[in-house]
Amino acid sequence: MTRTACLLALCAIAPAWGQDLDTLLRDADRYRMSADNLQVETLVQTYHASGELDKERRYTVFAQAGRQSLVLMQSPAEQGQKVLMLGDDFWLLMPNSQRPLRITPMQKLLGDASTGDIATLSWSGDYRAELVGEEPCQPNEAARQCLHLSLHATRKGVTYSRIELWLGKTRHEPVRADLYVQSDKLAKQARFTLDKARSTVTDMILTDQLNKQKETRVSYQSRKPRSIPDTWLNPMFLVRNPSLD
Amino acid sequence: MTCLPPLWRRAACALAALLAATPSQADDPAWHGVLRTYWQGGRAANAGPLAAADAAGLAISPPSTLNSEAQLQGALMLGGAQLRVEALARQRRRSGEDEQGRMQFNEAQLSGGSGPWQWTVGKKVLSWDVGQGFRPNDLVQQETRRSLLNLPLEGRSMLLGEYFSAERAWSLAAVNPTARRSATGGSEPALAARVYQRDGDADWHGFARLGAHTGASVGAAAAWVVNESLELHASARYLRHHDTLRHSADSPPLSASNPWLNQRQGSARQWLIGGSWTTAEQISLLLEAWRDDTAPSAADWRGWAARNAELSRYAAAGAPAMAVAGNQAWQAQMFPTSGNLRRDSLFARLSWTHDGWQPTLDALYHPQDGGLMLTAALSWQGDRLKLEAGLRRHAGPASALIRQLPQRSQAYAWLEWAY
Repeated sequence: MTRTACLLALCAIAPAWGQDLDTLLRDADRYRMSADNLQVETLVQTYHASGELDKERRYTVFAQAGRQSLVLMQSPAEQGQKVLMLGDDFWLLMPNSQRPLRITPMQKLLGDASTGDIATLSWSGDYRAELVGEEPCQPNEAARQCLHLSLHATRKGVTYSRIELWLGKTRHEPVRADLYVQSDKLAKQARFTLDKARSTVTDMILTDQLNKQKETRVSYQSRKPRSIPDTWLNPMFLVRNPSLD
Repeated sequence: MTCLPPLWRRAACALAALLAATPSQADDPAWHGVLRTYWQGGRAANAGPLAAADAAGLAISPPSTLNSEAQLQGALMLGGAQLRVEALARQRRRSGEDEQGRMQFNEAQLSGGSGPWQWTVGKKVLSWDVGQGFRPNDLVQQETRRSLLNLPLEGRSMLLGEYFSAERAWSLAAVNPTARRSATGGSEPALAARVYQRDGDADWHGFARLGAHTGASVGAAAAWVVNESLELHASARYLRHHDTLRHSADSPPLSASNPWLNQRQGSARQWLIGGSWTTAEQISLLLEAWRDDTAPSAADWRGWAARNAELSRYAAAGAPAMAVAGNQAWQAQMFPTSGNLRRDSLFARLSWTHDGWQPTLDALYHPQDGGLMLTAALSWQGDRLKLEAGLRRHAGPASALIRQLPQRSQAYAWLEWAY
């Protein structure tokens, strides 16, 4: 009886959302990608299961329209490293070799917060969304209801092949997500923190499901609109170590 | 600073001098540096044609060394141009020798440009080509591959002009413009050109080089990401002429001077194919195979072995031991420091990245004689600190060329602090 009622409820809301799922995803994207072309200063802190800080990394991300991103590693241990992501194509530039290395999507996954986690600030265009239904925003908290979307990758180069995403019902802000890799294994769980005005995601907290419940906090410390020249998106230009300020 | 060991103290002094020379940039995140110390040692081969020379104290097998380095790199704007510098202060202590110190600029270049047109003048690291174990089209840097230690590269002097669009790049370099025409290898004056084209999931490269005395060579390379885990790459080059070491036909069996001379040889081909496969568990496997016609041929090595046997006969017949040992030491020159021992090689590398740790295992195999060079290493990368240690072992049949190398095994330990 309960199952029938749920199905009927889902049938009732599905047509209403069906045509607008893309709009809904774009709404959610705006909480992280507030303009088409952005410069984002990002701090990534990784914690042990005990809560002790393990390591800290700083990145400058140039997120550009058309799924183009350039990530500059700013921490001492990684200084000079760059990752260029142009759609499904990726290059790694190491300061010692001065030579762009073409890397696979799997190599992009390396690290606690993969380059994909840091550089990818949007879902629309990369994923086909299905509405699963209305569910509690947190598994153990029935008071607040969210929209549960199931996202399936439409491109081969995305970091996660499937994302289960929970959005606020009214403003469509991202609340939490389960991130699955190609083997359909749950790799990470994400929680999103908004600023006081509830207009921008300030932190994404990733709990690693494959590695001892390690927690990684991705803090978006500043965002400003910034279009970078086309040449910066040429891997051979980047080996010149140009001034990218 | 007085509590520091002498090596570190001197390195720190050198670093302080570098920082003092750039006071306004020292706190700038564009300026950063590395302090590192590393030890490298090995066990000399106790058999083989060169063991006697090594035993006679002619240092064919390098002694263990302890190095301390301070490295500073950064850039500053001078009007519309950028001055980029990488300076290195190194203190080296070889066992049984006095300490040696030196400072060098690995890079010191002025660069600028307008829109898609860019230029560079000075000393610069310029690495081209695809591949890991061997790079036929690394026309400018001519970087040593498969070295035990991953040391910073020292750039080449050049005038470089480049043009960039979103998907294409043209580069033309006049390399070592002030060097002697007879200089060899990466020191030879040359014009080198590259065109790069991005084509979806593939990168295409075309190369050309005109050396002052080796003449023209052309090449091409590609890297292709096949799917989310697999990357394939290939590179090929044709050389009109190449330099190689030849034993002087005029020299007597027991020579009083080095009988090995650099000579220009005829045409040669070099090629490499390879691929890497990476799993979601961050395990990566690299496989490569290559052919290098500029390496000594099987006949060259047979001649080398015959000469070793002849020197042994002289020793047995009562020839002066030091004269024989000296000639045996010259024989070691056939072991190239940066090229290939054999013309055909296979290379495999297995690595796993996990939680800051990276164990790696690699193997270089020569199918002609079964020689095997095995290297195992373990590294850990923290926020600023990097630790690494490794071991290399030369294995295979006793007749294999790799087994004739002066060292049977090598080890290293590495500590690095980034600031």
